[in-house]
Amino acid sequence: MPDNNKTQLPFLDIKDLVVEYVSDGEIVHAVNGVDLHLERGKTLGLVGETGAGKTTIAKSILRILPDVGAKICGGQVHLDGENLLELQEVDMRKIRGNKISMIFQDPMTALNPVQTVGDQIAEVVHLHLEHGDHTDPVARAKEMLEIVGIPAERYHEYPHQFSGGMKQRVVIAIALACNPDLLLADEPTTALDVTIQAQVLDLIGDLRKKYNTAMLLITHDMGVVAQVCDDVAVIYAGTILEYGTKRQVFKHPTHPYTIGLFGAIPDMNEDEEWLHPIDGLPPDPTNLPKGCAFSPRCPYATDECRKEPIKIYKTPDGHDCRCCRMGAIAKKEG
Amino acid sequence: MEPVIRVEHLKKYFATPGGPLHAVDDVTFSIEAGKTLGVVGESGCGKSTLGRTIIHLHESTDGKIFLDGRDITRLKGKELRQAREKMQIIFQDPYSSIDPRKTISSTVMEPLKVSGRYSRKEIADKTAELMSLVGIDERLRLAYPHELDGGRRQRVGIARALALDPKFVVCDEPVSALDVSIQAQVLNLLKKLQQDKGLTYMFVTHDMSVVRHISDDICVMYLGQVVEKCPSKELFAMPLHPYTKALLSAIPSTDIDNPTKREILKGELTSPINPKPGCRFAARCPFATEACEQPQVQEEVSPGHFVRCCRIREVN
Repeated sequence: MPDNNKTQLPFLDIKDLVVEYVSDGEIVHAVNGVDLHLERGKTLGLVGETGAGKTTIAKSILRILPDVGAKICGGQVHLDGENLLELQEVDMRKIRGNKISMIFQDPMTALNPVQTVGDQIAEVVHLHLEHGDHTDPVARAKEMLEIVGIPAERYHEYPHQFSGGMKQRVVIAIALACNPDLLLADEPTTALDVTIQAQVLDLIGDLRKKYNTAMLLITHDMGVVAQVCDDVAVIYAGTILEYGTKRQVFKHPTHPYTIGLFGAIPDMNEDEEWLHPIDGLPPDPTNLPKGCAFSPRCPYATDECRKEPIKIYKTPDGHDCRCCRMGAIAKKEG
Repeated sequence: MEPVIRVEHLKKYFATPGGPLHAVDDVTFSIEAGKTLGVVGESGCGKSTLGRTIIHLHESTDGKIFLDGRDITRLKGKELRQAREKMQIIFQDPYSSIDPRKTISSTVMEPLKVSGRYSRKEIADKTAELMSLVGIDERLRLAYPHELDGGRRQRVGIARALALDPKFVVCDEPVSALDVSIQAQVLNLLKKLQQDKGLTYMFVTHDMSVVRHISDDICVMYLGQVVEKCPSKELFAMPLHPYTKALLSAIPSTDIDNPTKREILKGELTSPINPKPGCRFAARCPFATEACEQPQVQEEVSPGHFVRCCRIREVN
């Protein structure tokens, strides 16, 4: 890989990623041309509802989509200048768990129930030992347990002896054991209670700062995004609809879907008799609308929105928004 | 006026190999007609068990339950069945609480059939009426649950719960499995139904923004006990119990200019099996002293505001 390429591309650069699943002879368009970029030490929040394609994107980066039925049809995923989608499986295996690791949503199913938690951490370290590296995997696993706030004496216990929050901390210890450059966190706190969520988010934040890790945080919780992220991408039906810094997206949400999403959350500071849901349902991913995927639910949609795929427009504050009626809506709503 | 639901010193213990698990321990409250009591707390604090014990899905260990002023704690057989018609439940997970092999309409009409009070024609009419009430399209009458998304399935669960015109409905995390845009649809529906039919709700949830929106009063539970109960607005404006304060401060705020100042609690919920007699929160509480090792009593600190904490004056 030429050196100049390394310097030009962001640390993680996803270009025009397209992923499809085949189910019952029908093609599910899960990810439709997604561009994302992330620098070292930064956090990008990927926000969207169930089925929007968030987890599929993370799994595509790691290339752990199911062998049968799922296919990366196009695009590039560059990490540190190297296109991961072109790597041999052997080389990819060296990257997984080492340069890139993932925290899965459900700590109850992400751990092996018949292996001690310590061994599960040590396994990752052991697998990625370089030639001549004399790190003791067991010692490193104990160190990781202490880092995530679990006494090292509990190395020999099994997942069922841990509470949900502690299990998630073990999952985090596994993910961070090899000091990855990129952390993919897929709803890392969704299964946890708020007081434990606060502990876990703090822990991830501290560790990231210490090791300058880049993080892609997948979530549906706008509050978590507000606390943790630098940039935000809003995804709907496999397409990024709005993309900017946290300040831009939270202060000036521009796409009708983003506006709707903010409006649907019960307000903690105001009393409102009725909530403002987004009418309708997400589109069928086997049969997406021709134009804007959100147009069937959008109160502002016109024929222009339904004709052809919408390109990206720049909002007045300079972030990306995939809406051709953006200007007209802003005028109408003031 | 007599409250629709009143519970006094309600207890529910489960037998476990390690000793009795105190899922619900000495809970007292009442809910007025047409009002909503929100019950919040972390997983394992006994909030679902409380709801289920009140409507007799679990048999209570001790204490009393009154429905419309009548003691229903130890009802059996036919009397219990009649009382149960007045008390229904909407479950958390719309994916597992509906029979996958039944059509939507047969799920909704089942309570009507079981009650034995309606003719075939009445059942058909009432089913159609219920489905339109909760906003399920007539054409989905013969659909199966797997053909429906989560929001619609939850509507089916609501229609089934309302089939026999209950007075009291336990809503056990009815929106936590749904996406925000759909969640708002279902919350609005629940509120509208309450206004139209004068329903009384007990709304169990761990989502603080949802509970604030829907409740008149809120109970905060910790390891089987109610640590604080007061009107919804007051709880958010002036939380008194140290646990409530920590819980509220842990909610991630969407306001990026005023990030929440989080009080990070140390440790996690301790085991509810054979708990010590003192305050159950003491192990995580930054204000705990020796006095907290004594059993705590629920105290009414201002009208309608109940707290179970002996150090409340020092803490606030």
